[in-house]
Amino acid sequence: MSSVGKQSAAPDAVKKLVEITINGEVVTAEENSSLFNAVKLTGVELPAMCYHYSFSPFGSCGLCLVEVEGKKNNVRACTAKVLEGMVVSTGTDKMVEARKGAVEKHLKTHPLDCPVCDKDGQCELQDMAYDLEVYDIAEGKRKQIPEDTRSTVLDFNMERCILCGQCINVCKEVQLVDALCFYKKDKQKHVGAHGGEELYCEFCGDCLAVCPVGAIVSKFSKFTFKPWQLKKTETTCSFCSDGCSITLETTQKDIQVVTSELSYTSKFGFDVEPGDGHGGICVRGRFGFDYVMSNERLSQPITKINGKFEPVSWFNALMEIGKRLKSIKEVHGGKSIAALVSGRCTNESVYLFQRLMRSVLETNNIDTAARYGHMNSVLAMQEALKIGKGTVTHQELALSDAILIIGSNLTETNPITALRPKASMTEFGGKLMVADTSKTNMLNLATLPLQIGLNSESLFIQGLIKSVIEQEFVDSEFLENYPEAYDALKNAVALISESLITEQTGLEWEKITETAEALAHSKRGVLLWGEGIISKPGAYDNVLLLIDLALLTGLIRKEGAGLFPICEENNEQGAVDMGGVPEFLPGQIPFSSEEDRKRFSSTWHTTLPEPSADALGLTLPEIIEAAHRGEIHALYVVGENPLASLPAEMKVREALEKIDLIICQDPFLTETGEMADYVLPASVFAENEGSYTNVAGAVNRVSEAFDPRGEARPDWKIFTDLSKHLGHPIQYRSVEEIYQEIVKMVPGYFRGNKPIAQADNYLNKRFIENISDRYAVHSETSQSDPPTTLSLEQVLYHSGKLTTRDKQLMEIDSKTALKISEADAEALGGLVTGDPVNIKSDLGQLEVAVEVSENLPKGLVQFPLHFNDPPLKDLLKVEIDPLSKVIYFKKGSVTLERPANLDLKVIETKSETTEDSEPEAVKDEEAS
Amino acid sequence: MKKLLKRVFFVEILKALKLVFAHYFVKEVTLQYPHEKNIFPDTHRGALCLLKYESGEERCVGCDLCEAACPSNCITVVSAVEEKDHVVRRFATDFDIDITKCVFCGFCVEACPVNALGMTKMYEFSTPNKRDLIFDKTKLYDVGEKWYGQAKGYLVAHNQEGEDEIVSEYRYRFPSSRKPENVVETDG
Amino acid sequence: MAVETPETREDKKTLPLLKTEELLLNLGPQHPSTHGVLKVILTLEGEKVVKSEPVLGFLHRGVEKIAETITYNQFIPHTDRLDYVCAMYNNFAYVRAVEKFLNITIPERAEYLRTIVAEVQRIIGHLFWLGTQALDIGAMTVFFYTFREREALLDLFVELCGARLTTSWYRVGGVERDFTPKFIEGLYQFIETFHTKIEEYDTLLINNRIWLARTKDIAIISGEDAVNYGLSGSVLRGSGVDYDLRKVSPYGAYDKVEWTVPLGKKGDTYDRYWIRMEEMRESTKIIKQCLDQLPEEGGYKAYLPKVVAPDKERVFTDMESMIYQFKLYSDGFKVPEGDIYCGTEAHKGELGFYIVSQGGGKPYRLKIRAPSFIHMGAFDFMSKGYMIADVITIFGTYDIVMGECDR
Repeated sequence: MSSVGKQSAAPDAVKKLVEITINGEVVTAEENSSLFNAVKLTGVELPAMCYHYSFSPFGSCGLCLVEVEGKKNNVRACTAKVLEGMVVSTGTDKMVEARKGAVEKHLKTHPLDCPVCDKDGQCELQDMAYDLEVYDIAEGKRKQIPEDTRSTVLDFNMERCILCGQCINVCKEVQLVDALCFYKKDKQKHVGAHGGEELYCEFCGDCLAVCPVGAIVSKFSKFTFKPWQLKKTETTCSFCSDGCSITLETTQKDIQVVTSELSYTSKFGFDVEPGDGHGGICVRGRFGFDYVMSNERLSQPITKINGKFEPVSWFNALMEIGKRLKSIKEVHGGKSIAALVSGRCTNESVYLFQRLMRSVLETNNIDTAARYGHMNSVLAMQEALKIGKGTVTHQELALSDAILIIGSNLTETNPITALRPKASMTEFGGKLMVADTSKTNMLNLATLPLQIGLNSESLFIQGLIKSVIEQEFVDSEFLENYPEAYDALKNAVALISESLITEQTGLEWEKITETAEALAHSKRGVLLWGEGIISKPGAYDNVLLLIDLALLTGLIRKEGAGLFPICEENNEQGAVDMGGVPEFLPGQIPFSSEEDRKRFSSTWHTTLPEPSADALGLTLPEIIEAAHRGEIHALYVVGENPLASLPAEMKVREALEKIDLIICQDPFLTETGEMADYVLPASVFAENEGSYTNVAGAVNRVSEAFDPRGEARPDWKIFTDLSKHLGHPIQYRSVEEIYQEIVKMVPGYFRGNKPIAQADNYLNKRFIENISDRYAVHSETSQSDPPTTLSLEQVLYHSGKLTTRDKQLMEIDSKTALKISEADAEALGGLVTGDPVNIKSDLGQLEVAVEVSENLPKGLVQFPLHFNDPPLKDLLKVEIDPLSKVIYFKKGSVTLERPANLDLKVIETKSETTEDSEPEAVKDEEAS
Repeated sequence: MKKLLKRVFFVEILKALKLVFAHYFVKEVTLQYPHEKNIFPDTHRGALCLLKYESGEERCVGCDLCEAACPSNCITVVSAVEEKDHVVRRFATDFDIDITKCVFCGFCVEACPVNALGMTKMYEFSTPNKRDLIFDKTKLYDVGEKWYGQAKGYLVAHNQEGEDEIVSEYRYRFPSSRKPENVVETDG
Repeated sequence: MAVETPETREDKKTLPLLKTEELLLNLGPQHPSTHGVLKVILTLEGEKVVKSEPVLGFLHRGVEKIAETITYNQFIPHTDRLDYVCAMYNNFAYVRAVEKFLNITIPERAEYLRTIVAEVQRIIGHLFWLGTQALDIGAMTVFFYTFREREALLDLFVELCGARLTTSWYRVGGVERDFTPKFIEGLYQFIETFHTKIEEYDTLLINNRIWLARTKDIAIISGEDAVNYGLSGSVLRGSGVDYDLRKVSPYGAYDKVEWTVPLGKKGDTYDRYWIRMEEMRESTKIIKQCLDQLPEEGGYKAYLPKVVAPDKERVFTDMESMIYQFKLYSDGFKVPEGDIYCGTEAHKGELGFYIVSQGGGKPYRLKIRAPSFIHMGAFDFMSKGYMIADVITIFGTYDIVMGECDR
């Protein structure tokens, strides 16, 4: 079914159809739906400047006029409702004249800005004036409103504005942010932040994309391009794991602007299925393109000679690397070589890299950024369901009728995925339940907000399971097929007392029951979890608990229902799928399986390293431990930066110093790169071909917009060239050939085939075996005065360390403030935003500015993990998961202290937000 | 008989010779080019130039329409933002015309919405260095300054611009940018 | 080369003393008489042409392909470079095709302006042909005299549009610029004296025995053959076929003035020469009448905002004119879906444009029916049996221009 307008009900809601006549043709349409959509379905194209399919009709432009029999005045089709027996005509001369008049009205007051307007050439007002042949209009008076340039990102030019309200509607109805509104000033209507203040919002830029004229323009690409100069390349965003498709609009070697599907040309939403989303992108995708053109990018290979980096030619660099790697392999064996690959490399790069490592260098010590958390989800799901990724697509997420988000600040980490639960709630009538320790944006929006106590996630899930069993909501098929598992589970949860759960989580039992009921009774329920679950000790078990809950409520077997694990980097899932971890060969085939190893080794014409009895290969924490012991002689780092990512307790620097040969392949000179012997300049996503696998397991195409800067090369070229110097050439002539090989070796991967969950083995065996351990009551947190928890969090405006190199995103947000709760601020003697605070742990003490936030619970402080200044991560203790080997370092206990000399320093130290706005305000006052 | 006589006495050849010899006494029409030069009317489409307003301000706002209108893709404009006296303006940081590609059709002049481009009567481009034939912004403004009269004549002759007094009204003015005050919020 | 065997050696002995065989001769592409870069592979028997095979494409620039990437208006300067001797007529033929597609009419005055300039261009074309044809055959003086007149007319073109050859003066919906009094005066002056100039050329050529010997009975083609070979223009009319698009399907102001179509009898080179001389006289007549009748009202371009760019003065002051200016120069006007062919009687023959549109601002396909190209198809037929020296005359008799032929 194709949709041409906002869906106002769930897909299975009953619609009442009535018959109406449009231009003499009898059509059936849903009663009380917008007349515009009914007209659209007959194939008549009504012009409309204020319409967009993703939000409800607004009716400000007056272009979609139609004649309805029995009505004196012209009717705006978009706001008119379909009623039984309507007779509508659209194309009469009177209508054409009326539409012309509507455009004329806007043109009369429009300034002659086309030469300097960024929207020129892709302006709907221009198109309308041209298409409707508006000419010889009466003299009008310009509005004479100066441009509002106060915001960091967006400029508002109210002279050009046609007051269509699309920006406001998309902000309010799609993003649920409501940052924009109409306001009145000097008797003229303006669009801007509430109260005419300076705009500070999520800066998703959707208002910019929907604006049909040049009223809202981006500061970052202001006046720099005209559409006919730009080459468009459709590719996939390189930041978070949402995998949004974006269009890079480039001149020569510069990205001028990044756009997406959301624009006035796609406003009618042909071919848009319900739940497909509105096509927008977030602040990172839209404005974070500057790092591609950064001057800090490495332009040629460098090598360390006497402690100083010297440029070297590609040939020499690769030849020397090849020689040294070969000799290390011969002397110490393949096991002394380790490799780290980033979750930002394309699938093809990771595939080729692991092939190089496994087949040429004969080592299985390869690991990826998924080891920082996502491996918990992958391994737990593999263990229980034999599926190593989410089972729900983005579309299904939007159409689901009950979503439980647990431990994920979705709007900050995955802003576009976050729109799907929002749409599910507002458009399709789904129930949104959000469980989190702090009041995240999602929690505030949710139909059932569940703010749970610190470290009570597992108890909360156990509580849900207990509730499901006690209320007898259990899926009938589960009861039928796995009676033993059910009995074991029933016995296990019976031991957990209701009071403990309510005490620890801070929730009433009714709320837990309500959540459990909603999930169990849902037709398309989804469990979504993120960093709050996977990067905390006990994560593996917690993910298993969630899977238990899903199995119990039948979410696994239901169509359109399932699990949605969130990962951080854009291709973390793909890196695991492509065999970037010791556990798996490409396609998440266990490395321990000898048969499959043979299959790959015959394709690669080599022998693969034999796994030893105790381990398949070294994981990231093991590599560092082994390096400490001096067992690692060479380390090949592709796009990773363990030195900056891992806390001081891991002693990464000491470990790296012990390694003979470090090769770092990165677009930038990172902290790890500075310790390397060779640094090879890699290309970034805009210069690469390949594919990324997103959070929902969908594979998206990445296309090359221009050649790499300087002498930088795409990853696959470096690897194939290096393989020649290693005496074992891997012959690929293009990314296409690597892709073909993946298609052959991992059938169905690029088609996004949905795997079928196989839980029998798990439920009949391991589930029952250690159920008592997993459902044991942890009562360690019941202390009288719990210490403060420091949590390193992702923020909306950044992604990993990569975006800290992006000038534009740094301009939007470079706050390095510690977020503390109001209660904590009070306890520290009334700290206000901008005050410094001493933060202490067993590992050291640092001073950091605070930002008081009303959304945090007492005892929780947050710091953006993107910044190392001050290096708060070094205060945190490291814990390594015994099963999944995931390194937990993002959360830990600290104590806060008020600095002794605070009163003197109050005025001097201010957080950057206030600093930014202050001088500008002064300057503007002088001007006026 | 008469025909035969004509044929014998080469009558038609003699007539032709008479005509040719008569031309010795006609004023010569050939121009001895490097020493004498042709005088062109104002309409002549020669080298392109960029013009300034009387105040010395650049007319070009970097709107790039000339690049879109050019049939031979010889114009490259790079525009940027510049802030001056609380007015954010667009201007061309680079304006290159590749004279080797230019077909002198004058479409860019017709397209220009601020009449920043003009054509002069300059037509001698020969140079030992091919690079010199890419006219950059400075060179174009130099040409415009040197041959302002010709460029102006061209614009008038091709119905692009009227007389000077009227022109000053056409001048493109940038919208000013200031902080709005006296705000009253209305319902969305 | 065949391998020598005892048998062939045997044959050699029996061959007569004087050996005759066909000679393959490459004429061009760098021969001065080939009007650019035409190459002809001639098979000769002695001095006689047995077969001739024109090889085209040395001046191929992919003009038709370029047209697919630029807007309809932007293609006008590219048409200048088809038949670079007569740019005005190419412009005219092209804009007529686009106008026919858009189904628009232009003001009467503009039609007159177009007709006058087209006829001036026809005179220039014929002068150019006469000069070069005579030069090829050996009469150098004519060349100087025709170029003297041509120069006077080109000066008028500079006055009109600013360029001598690459004019780009015609626009879809009218012309770029109106006539100035100076132009009209200059043209009057020219046509008043032009008939005496034509008489001068006649004096030099019409009875000249060398000219007659080189042109009479050379490259004869019958009316039927000419039609079958798709010939047009003066080549067709030289064979006595009364077909002139200006009469058959009148455009411009041709139906509002009196003139006749000169026709040949024999279809030889001399007839074609005579027709071109007559056409110059007719053109003078047309220009004279058009100038006399030139309507004052109507303007030089149509008032069609969606197609014709607005006046510059309005662009500075009106919002909608500004928008149309930007829309027209960046995206171009939209042409409805479909295809169209429109032929125009250029001085070389029927110059046609076939345009396929898919509804955008750029043609999907543009095909040029270039008379020079079609005429080359008859080259083998017309040169068979003539002497090698006549080949040069035959090149000239079509009035080919390789820019148009190879495109």
